Amino acid sequence: MVKALISALLALAIIVTGSALETFYVQKTLSEINVELTALYSKVESETATEESVSNVKEQWFKKKEMLHSFIPHNEIKEVDLWISETETLVKNKEYKDALSKINVCIQLTEQISKTFSLRIENIL
Amino acid sequence: MTMAINFIRASIIYVFLLLIIRLMGKRQIGEMQPFEFIVTIVIADLVCIPMSDVSIPLLYGVSATLAVFIIHQFLTLLDKAGNGFKGVLSGKPSVVINKNGVDFNELKKNNLDVSDLIENMRILGYFSLDSVCYAIYEANGNLSAVEKENPDFEPNVPYAIIKHGKLDKNNYLRLDLEEGRLNSLLNENGIKSVKDVGVFTVDGNGRYYLQAYKKPYVTGYLGFKEKKW
Repeated sequence: MVKALISALLALAIIVTGSALETFYVQKTLSEINVELTALYSKVESETATEESVSNVKEQWFKKKEMLHSFIPHNEIKEVDLWISETETLVKNKEYKDALSKINVCIQLTEQISKTFSLRIENIL
Repeated sequence: MTMAINFIRASIIYVFLLLIIRLMGKRQIGEMQPFEFIVTIVIADLVCIPMSDVSIPLLYGVSATLAVFIIHQFLTLLDKAGNGFKGVLSGKPSVVINKNGVDFNELKKNNLDVSDLIENMRILGYFSLDSVCYAIYEANGNLSAVEKENPDFEPNVPYAIIKHGKLDKNNYLRLDLEEGRLNSLLNENGIKSVKDVGVFTVDGNGRYYLQAYKKPYVTGYLGFKEKKW
């Protein structure tokens, strides 16, 4: 009986600790990439962005997303990949207006992913 | 928070399934307590989906399975602790055959009918409803019976002629009874019509088991000239 209780409590502790660490990591990563994307948005808006500046953000994202795959369904992450890649091409061609909307989508996606996987009643039901 | 969300969702589904299984009665369970039965049907899917779909993190399956494990452990502890919780969780045994015969109310409470009872009796090796003094549907859906010490009849396969007030025409035709014989038998036993009969079985020797709702059972012989089957 004690063994069963200990094993259940241990599993509960794993879930609680795991959830806390996972939340911390996911929120931190998404928030960092959000900051990078917002900075890129400003650069594109002022038409000072270069292909290199988008590549840097893309590189950052690709590094950070590796671990995110362990917590978030791959399809959600893939969306950001696609939009960043599109932005890169648009900036390369100096199509800044179009690039702005793409970056905006990326910013929204990082915010949405964060909300979708947070502990809220609508995400539970 | 995906782990926490999965945990809460799995817990809700577990409790919901437990409630549904309990409401379904004993028919759906086989040799397991309801909460054990749920673990069996849920775990397979929980693990299978993240295992086969690479786009879903394995962590989803792991956290949901851990949720099922935690709830199962707590329910097992509560189940073992005895008291009233065991009854709520696993259900109570139901005495479906007593000294008066079949208890139709108990059968109804467990979503069972006479056919289920007859079938489960046959599985236990009892072909006639009055071969046993008592029969109990256990909480796990199994039937237990106390055998009569010296049954005063030759064993034979009985056919259910009337079940829950409905005449089984195919089985009735097997009897090849003269017209009005069934009605006169019912009248002799104070039963107005077929609708009032809970169960009426007849075996190849012509031995019948007749029980009206809310009345004790009666047995007798229809007086076949020879064995019908």
